[in-house]
Amino acid sequence: MKIDKSLLAGSTIILILKLLEEGDMYGYQMIEELSKKSNNVFQLKAGTLYPLLHTLEQRGLATSYNKTADNAKVRKYYSITKKGRSYLQEKEKEWKTYATAVNKVLGGEIFAAI
Amino acid sequence: MRQSDKISAYLEIVRQQIRWKKAQPIVLEEIENHIIDQKDAFMRDGLNEEEATARALAEMGDPVVVGEQLDRTHRPKPDYSLLALTSLLVFLGLMVQFSISSNIFLAKWMFERQIVWSVIAVAVMFIAYFADFTIIGRYHKIIFSLLSLLVFVCYLFTGEVHGRSVKMVYLLLLFPTFFAGFVYNMRNKGYGGLILCGLVLIIPAFLAELAPSAAILFLLCVSCLFILTAAVFKGWFNVNKKSALFTMYIPTVITLLSVFLFILMRDGYVSQRLQVILNPYLDPRGAGYVTIMIRRLLTNSRFIGQGLPISGLEDYTVFQLLPEVNTNYLLIYLIYRFGWITFVGIITLLAAFIIRAVIICRKQKSVLGFLISLAIISTFAIQCIIYIASNLGFMLFAPLSLPLISYGGGGLVINMALIGILLSLSRTGYLVRDKMEVGFKKTSFIQYDNGRVIIDLKRTT
Repeated sequence: MKIDKSLLAGSTIILILKLLEEGDMYGYQMIEELSKKSNNVFQLKAGTLYPLLHTLEQRGLATSYNKTADNAKVRKYYSITKKGRSYLQEKEKEWKTYATAVNKVLGGEIFAAI
Repeated sequence: MRQSDKISAYLEIVRQQIRWKKAQPIVLEEIENHIIDQKDAFMRDGLNEEEATARALAEMGDPVVVGEQLDRTHRPKPDYSLLALTSLLVFLGLMVQFSISSNIFLAKWMFERQIVWSVIAVAVMFIAYFADFTIIGRYHKIIFSLLSLLVFVCYLFTGEVHGRSVKMVYLLLLFPTFFAGFVYNMRNKGYGGLILCGLVLIIPAFLAELAPSAAILFLLCVSCLFILTAAVFKGWFNVNKKSALFTMYIPTVITLLSVFLFILMRDGYVSQRLQVILNPYLDPRGAGYVTIMIRRLLTNSRFIGQGLPISGLEDYTVFQLLPEVNTNYLLIYLIYRFGWITFVGIITLLAAFIIRAVIICRKQKSVLGFLISLAIISTFAIQCIIYIASNLGFMLFAPLSLPLISYGGGGLVINMALIGILLSLSRTGYLVRDKMEVGFKKTSFIQYDNGRVIIDLKRTT
């Protein structure tokens, strides 16, 4: 299913932080995980991911470090910071309120419970 | 066209969009790795190399758009808070110098001179800011030797003030920073590297002894020990941390103690001075004079406003009671003349400066950046501590300078150069990375590991 881009933009940061909350990852891994977890709904373009990751790093929500993989390739891993975790919590709360409200309007009380 | 050329062409377009040259290599490396990972994954799914490359590039998106987005994220930004604090301190220093200029002989000339020095210092700061700080790591031997030579030449050819080569003292303030570059090059060198670092310190220590300045010797020892300790904790030498600390501190403590005892036993003057430090009333007209005067001035100071007159000395100003107020006893003058509140203000500013510097230090991605910022912070902080302590009457060392505030061109220029380096670290530090991982096991040709003998045929070093 194609999803409207504007819907995605704001939530991408939350999605990335959520992935990092579970463990340190490098960029390619994130895209794979994201599409796996969302049943291929979120096909994040790699070109969008890196500017976002670098912004997260500059805002202190994530940090990065280099790690050498088995094939001697140096990979840049990202890891969520304390600040990132509290930011994520706050945004998750906001998102849930928003989603509940949208569901209420769209489908009445039944959806609101989901 | 070969497939790898297609990738290079793509990366070249991305590169052209990123205006900040320094950011380019590190960003492009990441993008390239991603494209290759993606291509390999497509090939595992059964695509041939050409299709896989094309699809991997398509997944990445339009190179111009990607490059533009990356360009927006990577702009060189100076650390405005540190810059603001620096300008505030320099400005404050000039104001204080101006306010005392009516009180001392030759003051107008001195104030004008200080303005000229400030302009030079600001220029030096900007040069250091735009220079590439990794030079300190790359040319550590040349820089270290040149500085040593320069200090020595300075010792031979510049004049002395009260038996001390003043210009030389300020140049010595650069040593901790360049020592950081030296330590950086000792990664994975084990105890040999650690001991070499200790040996190299003999040069600046000897020069400090030539000056002679106990304060700078103290500053050098503490800063460099601090840098070495931090490096050991980072696993930089790849040795057991505890035994490395013992290796460092036991000889240091023994040396210092023996030097101390030696001086005490040999030199009646020094031991007498030490006793006077502890009890200034032993020699109220000689070595204890300044300390006693400081105590009297401070006890008569108020929180806000001019201090109360000192009994018996009502007719004298601070400038007549203490020597070289504008260089060495600026804080006492301010406390007595305007109240303790000025002291609180200045301490707050200096503390804010140091805290900001620590934040920059913690943001460093490379060990080089980390060690250099640590060196600058400790150089700055120890100068402050020595100055403040002596101005409060703890006269263990003669004060060096109150960074950016007290009178004197040499100290100002050197401190501003260090701040320039710190600002440059805050601007580009997060982009610089060490080529080798910290704690990376140094591999030898034949290794014995957990019951196995490993012969490394691919060893390159």
